[in-house]
Amino acid sequence: MQLLLVGVSHRTAPIELRERLDFSARGVDRALSALAGTGAQHEATIVSTCNRVELYVGCDEPENTRAAIEQFLAEFHDIPGDQLAPHIYTKTGQEAVAHLFRVAAGLDSLVMGEPQILGQVKDAFGVASQLGSTGPLLNRLFHSAFAAGKRVRTETALSEGAVSVSYAAVELARKIFGNLKGRTVLVLGAGEMGKLTALHMQAQGIGRLIITSRTAAHATALAESIGGTAILWDSMTSGLVEADILITATGASAPIISGALISQTMKARRQRPLFIIDIAVPRDVEADAGDLEQVFLYNIDDLQAVVQENISKRGTEAFDAEKIIAQEVGKFIGWLNSRSAVPTIVALRQRFESVRQSELRRLEPKLSSLPPEARARVEEVTRLIMEKLLINPTEQLKAISDADTVATYSDALNRLFGLANDETEEGSLTTAGAPRSTKKRGQ
Amino acid sequence: MAMNAFLLVLYAVAGVAYAVQFARRTFGSSRAATVLLVLAAFAHTFVIGMETMRVGHVPFSSATSAILMFVWLLALSYLYVELTTGERAMGVFILPLLVALQAIPAFSTVNEPRSTILESPWFGVHVSSLLFAYASFALAGVLGITYVLQFKEIKAKDLGFFYDRLPSLNTLDEMNLRAVKIGWLFLTFGLITGGIWASQLPSAGSAAASMSLADPKIFIAVLCWAVYSFELYVQRIGWRGRRAAWFSAVGFGIVLLNFVAVSYFFTTSHNF
Repeated sequence: MQLLLVGVSHRTAPIELRERLDFSARGVDRALSALAGTGAQHEATIVSTCNRVELYVGCDEPENTRAAIEQFLAEFHDIPGDQLAPHIYTKTGQEAVAHLFRVAAGLDSLVMGEPQILGQVKDAFGVASQLGSTGPLLNRLFHSAFAAGKRVRTETALSEGAVSVSYAAVELARKIFGNLKGRTVLVLGAGEMGKLTALHMQAQGIGRLIITSRTAAHATALAESIGGTAILWDSMTSGLVEADILITATGASAPIISGALISQTMKARRQRPLFIIDIAVPRDVEADAGDLEQVFLYNIDDLQAVVQENISKRGTEAFDAEKIIAQEVGKFIGWLNSRSAVPTIVALRQRFESVRQSELRRLEPKLSSLPPEARARVEEVTRLIMEKLLINPTEQLKAISDADTVATYSDALNRLFGLANDETEEGSLTTAGAPRSTKKRGQ
Repeated sequence: MAMNAFLLVLYAVAGVAYAVQFARRTFGSSRAATVLLVLAAFAHTFVIGMETMRVGHVPFSSATSAILMFVWLLALSYLYVELTTGERAMGVFILPLLVALQAIPAFSTVNEPRSTILESPWFGVHVSSLLFAYASFALAGVLGITYVLQFKEIKAKDLGFFYDRLPSLNTLDEMNLRAVKIGWLFLTFGLITGGIWASQLPSAGSAAASMSLADPKIFIAVLCWAVYSFELYVQRIGWRGRRAAWFSAVGFGIVLLNFVAVSYFFTTSHNF
C-alpha cells in the first residue's frame, strides 16, 4: 500500500476556491463516506481548514487514485475539473509524510508556528478513525505527525511570541501584571480595534471591563455586546483611577489624554502600575505619559515592532523545527520500510508451520499409540523448535529500515525457503525439504 | 578544607546547569539544574552535620564558618522559593553568589574558636537569625536586580533576552517585598537578641566594650535595618516596583559588604 496526498492550500489556491472546497460546511464524515464509495483507496483522512483541504489516502495505484480523487473533489464541490486542476498538488511516499508533519508542526501555516493546526489535524484524524476509514498506515502516520508537532512545540520556540497586535498587547500585559485575573481594563472608544483587544483581555479572565466613548450610546452598545460596564465620557478620570490597563482606540484627531492627566491619576492610584495600549491612529495619548514611573505606554507602532520581531524570531526557530521534522520523517519511513518485510515474515512462518503439520501427519500412525500427555508433549516440542528458529530472522527483518535491504533479504528468503508458492499451495506439502521451484514473486 | 572545596565544585556544576537552562529553557535542562542544586545542598547539609559533631556545636562562630552556614541557608531558601513558585529564572543570579561565597571557606582554613562568651544561647539565636535575614535579603536583592533588568526592557520597548525568561514584573515585585519583610523580621530579632546577649556579658570584658555602635559591624547592621525599614515604610505610599527593587539591590550590597569585607578586615572582636 502506498501513501498519497492530494490537496489545496493557501500556497496554491485563492481564498474563493478554498472556501468552496472546505468540507466542514457539508460535513467531513459525509465526504469520507462518499470517497469510500469511489473505492479508489483503502484508507483515507481529510484535513479541512480554512487554509487547506488535504486528502491523505493509502492506495495501491497512486496514479489512478489521484485522478479519482481529483474527480471526486470536483464532483463533490461542484467545481469544473479544469478550474480545480492547476491549484492541486499531489505528493507520495516520503514527500507526503514530510508534508503532513510540517503541517502538524505549523511550519506550513499562513502564520508560521500557529498553534491551532495541530488540534485541527487531530480532529480530522479523529473523525476519520471513528468512521473506520483509517487503517494501519494512516493510524501510524497521523500519530507520528502528532508526535512530530508536539516535539516542535516543546523543543523550539516556533509558536512563541505574539504575531498579532492584539495578542502582543495581551502578552505584554501578562508580563507586567502576571495573571490578569481580577484586573480592571478601561477601553476608550467603541471601534473595532478596541473591541478586539478587549475581547482578548476578557479571554484572560480580567475582573472588570469598563467602556467609554464620546457617544454614550456606542459605549453602551459595545458594553452590552461583549459584557462590560459603560461609563460616561466625563467620568473617564474615575475610570482611569480604577484601571490597570487602558486601551485607547478613538477616532480623535488630536491626543485626548495628556501626560499631566496621567500624572495626576497616578497619585490617586497610589502609583499602581498602569499599562496603556494606544492603538488609535493618530495617537490618543501624549508620548510624555510614558516617561512616568510605573506607566508603560505602547502605541500601535511599538506593538507592530514587537510583532515583527516575533515573526523574525519564529523564522530562525523554523530552522530547528525542520531538523526535528526530518528526524521524525526518517523514523516513520524506517517503520514503513520495515513493514514491507511483514509479508515475508508471515510467509516464512506459514512455511515452517506447514512443514511441522505435515511431519506430524506423516508420523500419525506411530504417534497414535502414545498416551495423550506424550502426544501433547510432541506437539509442544515441535512448536517450540519452530518458534526458536524463527525468533532471530523475524527480529532481524523487522529491524531493517532501508527499503532496498528489506527487498534483498525478502528475495533471499523467498529463494532459500521457496516461499513464493507457499501461500497458494499451503497444506499440499507431503515431505519437508523436498526440492521446490524458486519462482520470484512480483513485488 | 577538602570538604568545602568539594562543595564549591558541586555548586559550580549546578551554576553551569542553571546558566544552560536559562539560555535553553527546556524541560530537561531545568530539571537537571534543580537536581544538581538539591544534590549540592544535600551534601552541604551533610558537611555541616559532620562539622557540628566534630566541634560539638553548630559551627558559625568564625567569619569563615558563618559564610559556610550562610551559603547553605541561601541555597535552601532559594530552593524553597523555586519549588513553591516554579520560577527558576533567579537561579542563574543566585548560583554565582553561592559559588563566590563558597570559594572563601574552600580556600581558607576554618578554625572554629569557642570562647566562653559565645556559649550563651542568645548568641546562637542572634547569629542564626541574622544569617537567615541575610539569606532573605540576598533573594530580595536578586529579585530587585531582575526586576530592574526586565523593567528596562519593557520601558525601552526592546523586548529581548530577559523579557523572554523572567516572570512578570508584578510577581518579581511581590516576591521581593515578601523576602524583604521576612528578612526585616529576622534582622530585627537578630539585633535585639544581640543586644540582650551583649548586655549579659561581664561588663569588664574587653569584648563587651566593643559592642557598641562604634563597631563597624554593628553600625552597618543598624544601617541595613534603617534601609529596609524605609523600603517597607514607603512601599505603603506607592514606592513599589523599580524603587523597591533598587532598595533591595542596594540593601543587599550593604549586607554583603558587612558580611564579608567588614568581617575580615575591619573588626577584630566581632568577626562573625
